[in-house]
Amino acid sequence: MTESKFTHKMAAHCETGTITSLLNHKGLDITEPMVFGIASGIFFGYFESSNFPFPTFIVRSKPGSIRTSLSKRLGIKFHEEKFRSQAKGISKLDQLVAQDIITASQVDFYYMDYMPEWQRVHINVHFINVIGSDDDHYLISDSYYPKQSSLKKDTLSKARFVGGHMAPKGFLFYPTHIPDNLPIEKAIRKGIKKAAYNMIKLPVPFIGIKGMRKFARKVVDWPSLARDTDHLSHEIMKINILLEDQGTGGAGFRFLYATFLQQAADILKADELHDMSKRMMEIGDNWRNISYFSAKIGKNRDLGEARLKELSEMIHDMADQEHAYFSELYKMFK
Amino acid sequence: MKEKDLVVDYEAQQLIYYVEKEDNSYGQVISGSYLAKHYLDDYFAKVKSLDQSLRKQLESGEISPIYYYMIMQSFGEGDLASRVKISKRKLRKHFQMKHFAGIKLDLLRRYADAFDIPIVNLFQFLVVKHEDTDKIKLSQQETKNPYLSITRVASQD
Repeated sequence: MTESKFTHKMAAHCETGTITSLLNHKGLDITEPMVFGIASGIFFGYFESSNFPFPTFIVRSKPGSIRTSLSKRLGIKFHEEKFRSQAKGISKLDQLVAQDIITASQVDFYYMDYMPEWQRVHINVHFINVIGSDDDHYLISDSYYPKQSSLKKDTLSKARFVGGHMAPKGFLFYPTHIPDNLPIEKAIRKGIKKAAYNMIKLPVPFIGIKGMRKFARKVVDWPSLARDTDHLSHEIMKINILLEDQGTGGAGFRFLYATFLQQAADILKADELHDMSKRMMEIGDNWRNISYFSAKIGKNRDLGEARLKELSEMIHDMADQEHAYFSELYKMFK
Repeated sequence: MKEKDLVVDYEAQQLIYYVEKEDNSYGQVISGSYLAKHYLDDYFAKVKSLDQSLRKQLESGEISPIYYYMIMQSFGEGDLASRVKISKRKLRKHFQMKHFAGIKLDLLRRYADAFDIPIVNLFQFLVVKHEDTDKIKLSQQETKNPYLSITRVASQD
């Protein structure tokens, strides 16, 4: 079995966790919150698309953008490769493993069979690090799993080459160059400015604060979209999953972003950012109240018009809070 | 959120959270999932109820196996259609048994691949009687032939 001296670490999120581990392995001392913040990871979007079984929302930027934004702002270079041919994609991964190159792979999360069954859903934008292999298995470092794990070679190949929405197409990447002097302060400023811009200024009606308000308006209509009460209960309780359990670090990435701002405040020696960090933690606490509330009313099947209106008002209130917050943050870094 | 207010003792599903530590710094903590600890029974009950309801509809021919697996695996119609390389309109037709009966074998194989099941499971449910679940073990194995799988029935001991 080939196995590199790679330290497995859990992380809040798969993409930031995978990238942070790869960079740490290459000798760069950088934290997950710093990767997330520099790459403008914080986000909101409300989606009604046939690619999803029900209306949904996201609380982070587009999958893949963490890597591309980090690369652009810090000058870190990654080798990136997609494959038309499954055989070539498998062969390439095997070559990299044989060369002891730790490689990130995009996969359908459903096939990560070491995870608890109830967590495994079809989502094509999960990222793992492949850290070794033997005849039948790849050794896997998955940020969501407490320890190093493994997957049958056939299983990983399926996970890499499923079709569908945002199909992975065998996508692999690994860092090839890290500059000696990273422009960290400039990158932090750019990362914050772009994140605030995305939240308050993107002229798209379902993105940022506009997306939050759309979510608040639409959630009261969810009963008409559900098959029955159990289905509605499931979708309402999924609000908790999307905010807490689906790799966010808690409160829809707001706790992770607060941590980034605290670290950024120290680097930039900016006291006002310490205040913004505390405020973001409080905003996160309020999102977490929505998580608890959704779980409770879903479990109790307490899903009448009044209760969903209450949920809608809580989301509207978050939109108000985040509009004020990101407007201020944008002004600070304009 | 302060560490002491967030951490949940639940080993089956561990997550990383970012919290306020006792020294006011923010950083990582490993915690169990609050939702899984308190509400997993409810989730399993809903899945069981949905499964039973869909199986009844399947047995009476109201829905097709395609619809059954799509719902059970929480696929969006667009995503599933894209995975099996057909239009959403055609996919929706396949939700009905009268159209399911006309699907070519190659397309059925693509459906089975998308659902990660042997193709034969689009035509059968393998069920072990409740009182025998401790005694009998069923397992299915793929072969290099995509249209053939092996089902093994063995005693548990």
